[in-house]
Amino acid sequence: MFDFITESRNFYDYITLAVLLLVFFNTFEILFLLYNKARVERSERKRQNLKRLASTALITATNAAELLPKPATEDEYAAYSEAVASVLDSFEGEIADRAAALITQLGIDAHYRRLARHRTWYKRGNAVDILASFRLKANKEFFLAIFRSETSSEVKYRIIYGLSRLVRDHGDILVLARLLSSLPYLTAKYTEDIFYNVITALKAAGREEEFGLFMRDTMHDESVLKMVKRDCLAACSAAVCEKGRATLLGYYAAFPGEPEILIASLRALAGIGDFSQLPAALKHPDWRVRLAALKFSHLCCTDMLPEVRAMLHDPNYHVRLNAALAFARSGDAGRAVLRAEESSDDRFAAAAAAYALSQEAL
Amino acid sequence: MAKILIIDDDETIHLICRAYFTKAGHTVETAFDGPEGLEKAAAFNPDILLLDINMPKMSGFDVAKQLKETEKTKHIPIFMMTSLKQASNIQRGYGLGIEEYITKPANVEHLKLRIEKFLEKKK
Repeated sequence: MFDFITESRNFYDYITLAVLLLVFFNTFEILFLLYNKARVERSERKRQNLKRLASTALITATNAAELLPKPATEDEYAAYSEAVASVLDSFEGEIADRAAALITQLGIDAHYRRLARHRTWYKRGNAVDILASFRLKANKEFFLAIFRSETSSEVKYRIIYGLSRLVRDHGDILVLARLLSSLPYLTAKYTEDIFYNVITALKAAGREEEFGLFMRDTMHDESVLKMVKRDCLAACSAAVCEKGRATLLGYYAAFPGEPEILIASLRALAGIGDFSQLPAALKHPDWRVRLAALKFSHLCCTDMLPEVRAMLHDPNYHVRLNAALAFARSGDAGRAVLRAEESSDDRFAAAAAAYALSQEAL
Repeated sequence: MAKILIIDDDETIHLICRAYFTKAGHTVETAFDGPEGLEKAAAFNPDILLLDINMPKMSGFDVAKQLKETEKTKHIPIFMMTSLKQASNIQRGYGLGIEEYITKPANVEHLKLRIEKFLEKKK
């Protein structure tokens, strides 16, 4: 097929040319990669130095903006915003107030507000993420305005995340819930994070009970997905809703046939030290609920040992195993039960007991 | 004055804590991850160790576990400073033998006072 090349008088010239071209491209590629590596490293060093400078200015000066050069490039804005976000995430008080002031003084918020209207969706999303990390109350109206004009769902989810950090009262939660329900359900983790932010923000504002009101209102609201209710309960568990005991008990009672809601309620209640529903949960027909209850049984009381012992003979493997582990965590009384069960006629219970004792010995 | 070791992957925390604690007359050493922190804890023998949980290479829980299991470092009081607020994490931390569990955002001035109060009591 390629005879016309191999039989050509210039065949070796073609080969030489091809080799030379390959050498040229490879050399060019290596030089380009080296140049790019050096460029990225230089830019990273510059960014770290600026971050360091911003942190030092925040520590040493009352007005840090006076000590810092105005940001001009994207890297400079990113460095300052990283330093500020890091301070706001880790500290409160005077230094956090200075960091928040720096955002406006250096025009960082104005820059990212402009970017939040960029024509490329990922640039808008990135800008929204950065604005969200600042937790500036002034951005609430801005977030609501861009949500209305935003076309990308990806960015809308991020705007809702940003808004969740700015919730101050019951009205804000309702607005947030309305925006959230206007989009398809994303993931359990996302929804949990949103409500976790809401609870944390309300706690910081001294209004934690307003989340309890919201939970109570949505309990029987058919328009709210059961998955969302479950995620609210999971957020309560993560953020420790100390003032939500009555509502959490209400959820446990209102959804007897919904294992996921029961499990999330049990966890949230256990998080605030309420184990009142455990005896009933240990007998629930759904093995997942029994399993969830077992995880806390060693924390609550020793008078449930007979119930937990019965679960060593449960038809479900996970329940049997966790019942044995619960005994292993219950001190001497629990270990005595395990040793007795090791010689049980029920070989499944005996195996679970032996396993738990071996774990205990490790 | 006390020797304080900070193990946190965020340099901003190092800078701010170092500035506040040094100003109060304490000596501060910093580490960016678990392995470096373990090494420095053994060498520096701090009076108090401020430990983050979410870090590269090794979690704060693993660092605390290792410190408390090592003869040379088990006496070092550990203050965990983290944004993880869940009861299960707090329980896990105290279960490992830490002295204090501080959630972020924390007031650095209060943190300094807490450390000083703790060291005073220990004396």
